[in-house]
Amino acid sequence: MSGMWVANGLSQDLPLGVVMAGAWQGAELAIWRSASGRLSAWNDRCPHRGMRLSHGFVRGETLSCIYHGWAYGTDGACSKIPAHPAMVPPAAIKAEVYQCVEAEGVIWVAPAGSDVDLPDLSGLAAVRSVTVQAGLAEVAHALPGFVCEGAVWRGQLDGAAVALVVQDRGALVRIHALGTGDRVKVSRWLDGMMRLAEQGVLA
Amino acid sequence: MKLYDYVLSASCYKVRLLAALMGVKLELEAVDFHPGQAHKSAAFRAINPAGTLPVLVDGDLVLSESTAMLVYLAQASGKIWLGDATPASAAKVQNWLAFSARLGASLGMARLHDMLLYPGDIEAFRRTGVECLRELESHLTEARFAGRIFLVGDSPTIADIACFPNVALAPDGGVSLDDYPSIRLWSRAVRALPRFIEMPGIHRLHELKPTPEAVPPLESL
Amino acid sequence: MIPQAVLNEWYPVAMIALVGPRPGRQTQLLGSDIAVFLEDGQIVVQGAKGQRLAVTLRYGHVWACPGTPAHDLFPIPEADQPGRRLVDCGVVRVKCSPLRAVENFLDIAHFPFVHTDVLGAEPHTEVGRYEVQIREDSDEVWATKVHFYQPQAAKSAAGGIVTEYMYRVAAPTAAVLYKTCPNQPDAWDVIGIFVQPLTEEFCEVWPWMALFDDTTPQADLIQFQQMIFLQDRSILENQIPRLLPLDPGKEIPTQADLTSIAYRRWLKRKGLTYGAQMVAA
Repeated sequence: MSGMWVANGLSQDLPLGVVMAGAWQGAELAIWRSASGRLSAWNDRCPHRGMRLSHGFVRGETLSCIYHGWAYGTDGACSKIPAHPAMVPPAAIKAEVYQCVEAEGVIWVAPAGSDVDLPDLSGLAAVRSVTVQAGLAEVAHALPGFVCEGAVWRGQLDGAAVALVVQDRGALVRIHALGTGDRVKVSRWLDGMMRLAEQGVLA
Repeated sequence: MKLYDYVLSASCYKVRLLAALMGVKLELEAVDFHPGQAHKSAAFRAINPAGTLPVLVDGDLVLSESTAMLVYLAQASGKIWLGDATPASAAKVQNWLAFSARLGASLGMARLHDMLLYPGDIEAFRRTGVECLRELESHLTEARFAGRIFLVGDSPTIADIACFPNVALAPDGGVSLDDYPSIRLWSRAVRALPRFIEMPGIHRLHELKPTPEAVPPLESL
Repeated sequence: MIPQAVLNEWYPVAMIALVGPRPGRQTQLLGSDIAVFLEDGQIVVQGAKGQRLAVTLRYGHVWACPGTPAHDLFPIPEADQPGRRLVDCGVVRVKCSPLRAVENFLDIAHFPFVHTDVLGAEPHTEVGRYEVQIREDSDEVWATKVHFYQPQAAKSAAGGIVTEYMYRVAAPTAAVLYKTCPNQPDAWDVIGIFVQPLTEEFCEVWPWMALFDDTTPQADLIQFQQMIFLQDRSILENQIPRLLPLDPGKEIPTQADLTSIAYRRWLKRKGLTYGAQMVAA
């Protein structure tokens, strides 16, 4: 079985013990890295009261909900309910788990059980992620000379390779940029590209 | 030193936060900003004619701008919060103090609108707030390329403290921070500083404490 | 269509002390525009079509009923008790279901994580057994004998103490808690949360207190309450879905959530479903 793999950020932006918000298609996700480095992506909703788990906190190999401190292990199963310290949580209390991998500094998410099938980004270094408040078509307009291969747009900036991994969120587009050239130069070019794409929306 | 204070004010929190980080004790006097509007009263205007919070009083000195209070606190105690002594560094700190006023006028106003029903153009507040966040994100991203995490130089300064509250509280005004990875890591670095104190809307990093040991059941207490 | 049972209830719409002449406070109730203003010395609540809503002035607030009042506004006898100080804490707008705001007020298990070092602190996270009932005579939800460990229940307290609470849902969007008063063990401090349902997914919250406390300045009392409620706000704005699910399968409660379970059951039974999600989509 294979679901689509969606880029959800850069490894450098998710250090040990940190959780962030992400998305797969319409589903909102909490993506986190345990103290030992293990990556997880879950539905962004604590089964107890629906609180976003991306607001939670990581201790060791568990992610806890900020609301009542319910802790979940890397398998998604609830391991502790602080209001009932002596109780072993029932197995039914479990976060919905996605598959989450990283390669060449990019974090990818797909539904559980998907075969790993990622684009080749070897030889490129991660630069930064930006969010453009425009649709994919406006972003494409702002990238003359770039070639689209699935979720990856490839091009050149002053002779250096640039690859933009695109995460389409409908009304906005998140771009995870990699390249071989000067990162400051790529970063500033991205700022300009974003303005260009957003002007396209206004026009 | 006495601070006329309001617990939900981002500007008051700047001063409380720096004082806590520096280990300086402030005498806090709560002013009934909402719903009492006590900061607009004649009695309060006798202290600060502008009728704004916070106000810092130290002997004969009366300050009514939070960024000036940060400078005063930092000057008075060792100056490590002012950055290194070079003209460029001092000017950069001033640049961010001025930038923090733009944060207050955009993200800060969006928050007051959404939370305490302040009038104003909410879409304009949010739009200019997002512009500010993008500038900050780009700057912090370049700082990270150079191996740094704070706004000016290698260690935290009053520039970080001036900008942190209205940025961290942006979601209170309907502006998400999910789009800004460098801001997220900078915000974590500020919250991880020794003696950090939170304010409502800014959660503590519970992960800084280890998983607690078991305690006797409630019934036995 | 808003159920008639919802329209026939009382809702807070303003703080009496803040009501001025026309245009007054322009706000919403159950998705309709209303205005609250003073006219000839009387407080008037006027609907979008110019109609006048039934009004009760009580507990520092203006209460309005958009339909035909099914009953009088609930009693809080402590409000008339000599020696108590009544404190209006102002308004805070929250992007959440009014019912979620009430449910959060009934919850104690979040104290160590959301009100850290004030109302609770790890490792003292246990919620003991307590009693919950839907009182048929008053048609209210009550939770009693609720105990929780508080790290610093009062400024005078050297260490932590176990504090006792009672909780009471007096109206679909109004709840009252009774909390042991550290300086006066025979009396309860009374704190109310009055929630104005602007729409099903937006509310304005008016905290109110009736305390035995002659010494603490007014501004400190108000700011303490605002601090607590604003710590909750970022939680309330991030629960999914925004509406309160009444379908038991949608969220997983534990024994610590008995008050919430009873509140949801009571809402469902009475058809007070404004701000609720009936069946998971």
